[in-house]
Amino acid sequence: MKKLFKTGNPYIWLTAGTLTISLLMICGLIALILINGFGIFWPHKLVRFTLRDGAVVLGEIAKKESIPHKKDAYRTKLKVGNRDVFGMDFRWIDDADIVSHELPHDALAFERREWGNMYGSLKGWKQGDDIKPVSPAEMTAMLKESWGLFKKIRSVEKKEIGNINYRMEKNRLELKRLSTLPPTTGIQKKIATVNARMDVLKKAYREKEDILTGLHQKAREKEVVALLADGSEKTIPVFQIVRLYAPNTMGSFAKIGFYVAKFWEFVSDEPREANTEGGIFPAIFGTVMMVLIMSIAVVPLGVLTAVYLREYASDSSIARLVRISVSNLAGVPSIVFGIFGLGFFIYFLGGGIDKLFFSEALPTPTFGTGGILWASLTLALLTVPVVVVATEEGLSSVPMSIREGAYALGATKFETLWKVVLPQAVPGILTGAILAIARAAGEVAPLMITGVVKLAPSLPLDQHFPFIHLERKFMHLGFHIYDVGFQSPNVEAAIPMVYATTLVLLFTVLVLNLTAIVVRTKLKKWYSTASL
Amino acid sequence: MKSLKRRKFTDRAAYWAITFGGAATVFVVLALFLFIFLEVYPLLKGAKVSKENTYSLQGKAVAIGVDEHQGVAYAVYQDGKVEFVSLSDGKVFKNYTITGLNGSAITSVDRDNNLLALGTSDGKVLTVSIKFSESFENEKRTILPEISEEEPTLVGDEGKGIAFIAARRDDSATVTVACTKDGRLILKSTETKSTLFGAEERKETRKDITSLTTQHSLNQFPSQLQEETATTGNQAPLPSERTDTREGILAANSSTNQENKAEITSLALDHFMENLYAGTSAGEIFHINVKDRENPFLAEKILVSDKAVTALGFLLGDVSLVVGDYGGGVNVWMQVRDEASPSGWVLKKVHTLKSHHAPVAAVASSLRDKGFVTAASDGSIHLNHATSEQTLLNLEIKSIPAALAFSPKANGILVMDSNGNLRQWDISNPHPEATLKTLFGKIWYEGYEKPEFVWQSTGGTDDFEPKLSLVPLIFGTIKGTIYAMLIAVPIGILAALYTSQFLHSSLKIIKPVIEVMAALPSVILGFLAGLWLAPLMERIFPALVVMPFFIVLAIAAAFYIWKSIPARIKGGYRHGTETLFLIPFIIGAVYASVQLSGVFETVFFGGDYRQWLFDILGLKYDQRNAIVVGFAMGFAVIPLIFTISEDAISNVPNSLVSASLALGATPWQTAVRVVLPAASPGIFSAVMIGFGRAVGETMIVLMATGNTPIMDWNLFNGFRALAANIAVEIPEAPFGGTLYRVLFLAALLLFITTFTINTLAEMVRQRMRRRYSKL
Repeated sequence: MKKLFKTGNPYIWLTAGTLTISLLMICGLIALILINGFGIFWPHKLVRFTLRDGAVVLGEIAKKESIPHKKDAYRTKLKVGNRDVFGMDFRWIDDADIVSHELPHDALAFERREWGNMYGSLKGWKQGDDIKPVSPAEMTAMLKESWGLFKKIRSVEKKEIGNINYRMEKNRLELKRLSTLPPTTGIQKKIATVNARMDVLKKAYREKEDILTGLHQKAREKEVVALLADGSEKTIPVFQIVRLYAPNTMGSFAKIGFYVAKFWEFVSDEPREANTEGGIFPAIFGTVMMVLIMSIAVVPLGVLTAVYLREYASDSSIARLVRISVSNLAGVPSIVFGIFGLGFFIYFLGGGIDKLFFSEALPTPTFGTGGILWASLTLALLTVPVVVVATEEGLSSVPMSIREGAYALGATKFETLWKVVLPQAVPGILTGAILAIARAAGEVAPLMITGVVKLAPSLPLDQHFPFIHLERKFMHLGFHIYDVGFQSPNVEAAIPMVYATTLVLLFTVLVLNLTAIVVRTKLKKWYSTASL
Repeated sequence: MKSLKRRKFTDRAAYWAITFGGAATVFVVLALFLFIFLEVYPLLKGAKVSKENTYSLQGKAVAIGVDEHQGVAYAVYQDGKVEFVSLSDGKVFKNYTITGLNGSAITSVDRDNNLLALGTSDGKVLTVSIKFSESFENEKRTILPEISEEEPTLVGDEGKGIAFIAARRDDSATVTVACTKDGRLILKSTETKSTLFGAEERKETRKDITSLTTQHSLNQFPSQLQEETATTGNQAPLPSERTDTREGILAANSSTNQENKAEITSLALDHFMENLYAGTSAGEIFHINVKDRENPFLAEKILVSDKAVTALGFLLGDVSLVVGDYGGGVNVWMQVRDEASPSGWVLKKVHTLKSHHAPVAAVASSLRDKGFVTAASDGSIHLNHATSEQTLLNLEIKSIPAALAFSPKANGILVMDSNGNLRQWDISNPHPEATLKTLFGKIWYEGYEKPEFVWQSTGGTDDFEPKLSLVPLIFGTIKGTIYAMLIAVPIGILAALYTSQFLHSSLKIIKPVIEVMAALPSVILGFLAGLWLAPLMERIFPALVVMPFFIVLAIAAAFYIWKSIPARIKGGYRHGTETLFLIPFIIGAVYASVQLSGVFETVFFGGDYRQWLFDILGLKYDQRNAIVVGFAMGFAVIPLIFTISEDAISNVPNSLVSASLALGATPWQTAVRVVLPAASPGIFSAVMIGFGRAVGETMIVLMATGNTPIMDWNLFNGFRALAANIAVEIPEAPFGGTLYRVLFLAALLLFITTFTINTLAEMVRQRMRRRYSKL
């Protein structure tokens, strides 16, 4: 035994064990996210339990586990939905209490615009006091119609009324600005025109409002009656139903179709019900736009620093100072960048801009509050080191001989850099930019205090001049995870959404990183052949 | 073709532009530091006087006051005259005479917000209300004072003056306590109760409670103070014959008094109308509970000073009592829980402020914070802050102060001397509650039993005392970091050692896999830690305890099985593939320990580990605790430590390894005795950088702990770290306020910590690089 330990082999196995543990932790984490993230859109079967006390429950099985401190006893977590009726989404049921269970064919899942899912069967279409049976085809037609109605309402609300509101706000600010000027006749004339414009807008607004009221009226007209598991009836406007499906009778293809549709809704639609349902499109959009603005700021700064370090730094003490600064910038906690962004960009710069250019809107801040520009700039500072390191690597892999060739042909240092070295270092710069984007996409703490919100009323890009609204607040994937998972009123029901969002974020970050690795490897290969 | 000159110029311009750009990074770091420092700096500055004004009025003022914009001040004179002075031009623009006095004089005053209770020379009490309203005209603010008086009521005895008065009222009750010139203490209360049928019932009581202050049954002299009293033998320094005003008491020479009976020299009643404090000439305070108006009783009698108590006043919230004495001492006392006392509460001295050199004449408290102003009879005026125990300003007037006021916004002090000169100071005192002591020391806060480190920046009420000790947050940061490092350092370094020294070259793909994991957003780790790992761990905690043993056992088992497999089956892969071979074993070990969790719980923890933890170790298990954070943050730090130490180990020159192996050392001996020591600076820097990452980690800590700022090494508690605290509180911190700046200070601490760590690590790495370039 002693001899065995003397060879050191057991220790080597122990160190191998640590590596295995690291690997397993990483793989386990990814598997966990993949399974939970991809699983949520799959239609689950609806199970009907009859319990010992005679109660009947219907829902999706969410989890099964052993009851602690009891031998061979299990319990089931059932998603019973119907939050508005039962008061909760989930219910724990001891398996011992279940008398019978079945998969009823007529069980339907109603995905609603409010109050989460409802499970039950369809009794019929309500007309006055009568309930008329409804065929699936009729139901599909009704759903289609209500979907059209929904789109119409959204378009009126967001586009048309939003447009009027936007213009009214502009006019209001104009009016406020004019009223601070000395009241000459010219100014008074202007005020009159603005007021006239305001009146036109107000009239248009009232018209649109009437249209909207009419549409909402229409939305309430058609109602269906659902029979719930406990035998009670629930009347629900067709308009409230987003999707109606019968998971117990669905074939595999239907399920796949359903899955794809749900997934598409998830990435392309807006969130519903305090972000716990619907999609995450605004968050994806906000993240992308934020990293793009950030790249515009960070790439020049990072490349300049790297070029200085590699090509120009002669005085070694300054170069060392720059190097230490870069490595420190990489090590400063992100929240410190966040608080700097808040103090410097938002209150100092933003406050200054507001005083100079947007004084008519004060005390409502325009730039003096969190926004996409400030968040992007904050993250740009945070990611400078990433770009510097990658660009340096790119520059250092450009062979000296190429530079010397350029010098020999009479090029100045800058010409060599600009026309010969930098073009060859583009893959390195690209790697840096990609890694910076990956880092920024996953960062949350500094964004939380520089402009990310749980629900942004409008995207930072729209049809109003100047189209890009840098002062607007935005949504972000990482913050969405934090907010939905930890701040939403119904965390339990929201967890699947969080997993799905996590999956999207993880996918984005991993793909970006892998792309960077591929670019870097390609770059290395390219130069190892080029330098021959 | 461009001219040579132009090309040369472009080249020079580019040189400067790039050098400037390179230096920009240094600027960014400097700006980061400087800007954060500049936001913190105002915390260190004290209060200052920005403007000083003197106004000449006539008469002996008994009370003065000012509106919240400091535009109008008023003075109430002894004879019942009230004057309103515009502070901008010093003109008296409104006069009023209190009609209810009927020729008598005002002998004592108590202020209750905008109400003044005036005790008169004929034993009556008269309440005067002075309010300010404002109106705007042409963007100019005009402040209009309104004064009204109520019918006087007889509280003392007809014709006998009231020496001291304390009065409070709320919607349904008025309580007045008066001390008459002949030393009698009278409690009068009026209560209006609505009966069941909507009729109002008015109840009036008047009670002589003098006897409560003469009985000495409840002696609770602190022994130390008692001794002092005995040696000085100067128990009653007040004149035997009462003079008309407080100023007279203050000016009198203490030696004239030979009488030994303690007389009441000051009164204070809190707004709960429950606690009445009466200070005496012997330096005692009688605490009389007047909650039951019919049966008030003496709750406590305590010696607070060896000299007469000359001024009493409550701080905002009416919990802390400011006691000023004849010797100029200023102390803050409050009720502290004490099981030993019959009432369960004892008056204790919690803060001592800078002393005056003369008897304290008046106390005026801030309506904004725990600040207060004291004036002494020599004309010295101190602006104090109780929580931080600091005297922020020392002001002075040349004569004896007669009345004192602190402006409602706590930005101005007014004092009127006995010659009728009104002095007003505009003060700027933005951050009185933040000092090095309140930020880093133990402070005795209101409602606490002893001085403690507490972080509680905001409260539900206006009279909340902010508790801004950064110590619990620093503690939390260190706690989280240590648990994370305990997990990450061994795994990270050992895995790196294995990867660079023993791993088969065909498996080097593992390295980038782990490196990519360094890019994993911490919000994902935090989410999984908080919503997946924490509930899971709560369920299978016993499995977690035995898991390390199982894993080691599994590795040992794998080792023996591997050894017993014939070499020909193993083929070309002999060494360096152990890590793959181990995968099923470790999965098996984890699975087995989870499955057997219930069994372990029965065997080791008597069936319920939480109960066991609580019974045996006295620990409470929180779901989101330090172990969860340790795991999640360890997970975030492992790739970092792994990558940097792997680089360092790989950079050890091969010649060293070869030499060691040639001398007959085993690969393990070479790795541990040659490679590790050679790479130790690099590994050190890896650990440092990992440490820096853990210190500043925000999202994991925010999501995986309960964020409770408690100081407890318990593994099963949560904590609150500096970084998470910033993220939680900065959105609610008003711009430029104390909390805002304290949070910047927290950021500055984080910045300095990580800056030091990173600079150190970078220097170590640079040195190592130089050393190996020579080899």
